[in-house]
Amino acid sequence: MTPILQIKNITKRYGGLTAVNDVSFDVNKGEILSVIGPNGAGKSTLFKLISSFVPATSGEVLFNGTRISSLAPHKVAQMGVVRTFQETTIFRSMTVRENIIVSHHLRSKASLFGFFIGTKQAKEDEAAFAASADNIVDFLGLQAIRNELASNLPQGHLRALGMAIGLATDPKVILLDEPFAGMNHDETMKMVNLVRRLRDERGVTVLLVEHDMPAVMKISDRIVCINFGQKIAEGTPKEIRENDKVIEAYLGSEDAAIGM
Amino acid sequence: MNAKKLMGFAAFLLVVFVFVPMFISATGRWDFYYTLTSVALLSVGAAGVWLTFYIGRINIGQGAYALVGGYVSTILVTQAGVSFWLTLPLAGLFCAFISVLIGFPILRLRGVYFAMVTLVLTEVARLSALALPITNGAKGITSIPQPGELSLFGLTIIPAFGSLSNPRVGFYVMAVVLMIITYLVLWRIVNSRLGHLCRSLQQNEELSASIGVNTAYLRLLAYAISSFFGGIAGAMFASIAQSIYPSSFVVADSVNFMLYCFLGGLGYVFGPMLGTLLLYFGWDLLSIAKEYQLLIYSGVMILLMLVLPNGVLSLLDKKESRA
Amino acid sequence: MEQIIANGLYLGAQYALIALGLTLIFSLMNVLNFAHGQMYVFGGFVTYTVVVQLGLPFIVGLFASAIVLAIMGAAIEKFLFAPVVRRSKRDESTMLLAAGVAFFLDAVILLFFGEKQRGVPKIVNGVFNWDMRIIMPYDRILIGVLAILLIVVFIAFMNYSKTGRAMRALAQDKMAAQLMGVNVARYSMIGFALGAMLAGLVGGLLVTITGVNLGMGGPTSIKAFLMIMIGGAGVISGAIAGGFILGMMESVGLTVLSAYGDITYLVIFATLMIFLAVRPQGLMGKPWG
Repeated sequence: MTPILQIKNITKRYGGLTAVNDVSFDVNKGEILSVIGPNGAGKSTLFKLISSFVPATSGEVLFNGTRISSLAPHKVAQMGVVRTFQETTIFRSMTVRENIIVSHHLRSKASLFGFFIGTKQAKEDEAAFAASADNIVDFLGLQAIRNELASNLPQGHLRALGMAIGLATDPKVILLDEPFAGMNHDETMKMVNLVRRLRDERGVTVLLVEHDMPAVMKISDRIVCINFGQKIAEGTPKEIRENDKVIEAYLGSEDAAIGM
Repeated sequence: MNAKKLMGFAAFLLVVFVFVPMFISATGRWDFYYTLTSVALLSVGAAGVWLTFYIGRINIGQGAYALVGGYVSTILVTQAGVSFWLTLPLAGLFCAFISVLIGFPILRLRGVYFAMVTLVLTEVARLSALALPITNGAKGITSIPQPGELSLFGLTIIPAFGSLSNPRVGFYVMAVVLMIITYLVLWRIVNSRLGHLCRSLQQNEELSASIGVNTAYLRLLAYAISSFFGGIAGAMFASIAQSIYPSSFVVADSVNFMLYCFLGGLGYVFGPMLGTLLLYFGWDLLSIAKEYQLLIYSGVMILLMLVLPNGVLSLLDKKESRA
Repeated sequence: MEQIIANGLYLGAQYALIALGLTLIFSLMNVLNFAHGQMYVFGGFVTYTVVVQLGLPFIVGLFASAIVLAIMGAAIEKFLFAPVVRRSKRDESTMLLAAGVAFFLDAVILLFFGEKQRGVPKIVNGVFNWDMRIIMPYDRILIGVLAILLIVVFIAFMNYSKTGRAMRALAQDKMAAQLMGVNVARYSMIGFALGAMLAGLVGGLLVTITGVNLGMGGPTSIKAFLMIMIGGAGVISGAIAGGFILGMMESVGLTVLSAYGDITYLVIFATLMIFLAVRPQGLMGKPWG
């Protein structure tokens, strides 16, 4: 079976600086794969490359065998590869529920004009979106804040809302941008649980970029480690833990104490 | 909730079609018809500007489309003999078409950059009107015939304006009807999925793209609708004034369209209508102040900005949250 | 050919000065100063009043324009822009304010100086004639040289004075500047005053040649916007480049295109649209400002 996502020799240069250099790896359907690396290793550039928010200098990303790099971001989302952002990226002056409902856009069967004149299909769509939004609210445990304005939410909830927005698009693969950043131990454990349920209950393949090592070790089926823009290791959490290159990379950076 | 809206709508109709004419005939201020006709038409253009604000773009170029719309309608009427009623949608469509061509490159710009380019557009339209042979240069096109009869299956829907005993009232009714249709359309857009997506665009374009919204297409669509409104407003204006010149809509008009939206409130569908009424009517009333007219007008505008930076309609918000 | 270049340089120097003021205000406060053209006109009228009505030397008039406009700019920033920037939900609200200020200044100019075109008598007589290749009145040359001198002084000020450096830091990164202890409120006010002063100075310079009138404000603002779009908004080098490029284009256009009627600006706009489609941030601007 072909992997759901294939990253092939992807490279990104900014002027003379190579942020990501010839990185390749596969993501299998139904797995949770994490990309780790010290600060400045090129994780976030790699993340943007995979979600097609920045164009690659060379190399490509395939989804179910189809090339998605160089497609417009909304096309990538249409195919089922959806990214989340770090906390501040939400629709600020909408309520939590409105945020989730509007993000059901890809599921609409009626056309925009159909929605404008209010056809039967449009009404059915709206009802379906509302039901699905409530379902997502329940799934993520956001019942208490469903009618809060997003700009009034505390950080922890914003992260969950970001995930809800991603889920609303009905993704095949979800790309999570540092889902544990800035969280304390309890919050991290809750989030770890949530990401697992995402995969187990909704069948979503998860690719996440993160530098919180304990959480990554706990959650991942496989881990890819990059440093200075290059892949230095790939394997199960156990293999990564024992990999000398990974240990070296982390010892050589300020992150050393955090993880291992 | 819905009954309340219907009541409000009925009250509005009552005011514009019964109370206003009664008031005018009681006071004898027949010139108010002309002022209010202008308010209605300008608010149609302002509705378009408001829609571009709704996708997060500052549009200071509506005057350009109003001018183009005016010329398209006028040229079709005077040179091809097309019925004015047919030229009205054609003028709008022509503007929408041009706006797609222009919008394609410039809608990628954001914030002040987009605003500056649109500001320049009005000047481009004026200079084009001066330079092109078909627009008759600075002399403009004058003595445009009044709109003729509009009939459907032999049934007269709108009588020819030349046959009306009081064309001023006719123009007023026509302009107000056009305004009502425009705002119903705008209201429907805002409250349907299209509007929700526009709002998502306004708040975060990247996130909007990440949930699968074709942001480039949506921006073009909103801008085209906006320019359509500008075009029909301009066409109607030219027809009422029975003349059009390159200076019929200038940069100051484009700026004014933007100001109407701001003053009414960018968060409220009916903001631009109220803003147009306040600013245009206010300006007209201030003519008694003679040479101090502009001073008072701009002074009040600045003051309003200081007191209500989010528009006049934001007063309603405060009331609601108190209740 | 030489004549076209000389005209272009002369125009460009004036334009660059106007654009510098506009871009300075934009870079510090993210405010698009619609009233910039009106400030320029106001400066022209101040010089006119001092020179023609009070009979004082031109240089006094120029200083008076600079001082009056600097004070006006500082006051407008402190009492109008600063409070609105602090309180409004959207950045765009400052645009309404700027437009209001533009109208207000128009009204003030109308009341104080009237509607008539005003000019100042030539400050030097005579015409420079280089073998019929460049013909230019001496007063234009003087004004052009003065404008270039002012640009040089401005750049030196921004680079070497403490105030100038603080403003540049502020323009680059407001947060970082704040953390480094730059007083944002104070330097925003100084920047606005300086931008207005530059507009006033150009007005004072040009009143000796073209004169000023009430209607010039709006079109001048539009030209200034054009320049900073060409060069890239908020960048000093961009404003200078934009000013000289527009001056040159106008000069070339008026000569080459005059046979086809008054289409110079139409061509300039069309070129600009195409240019911006390829390079939205202008020549030297940062992407998305």
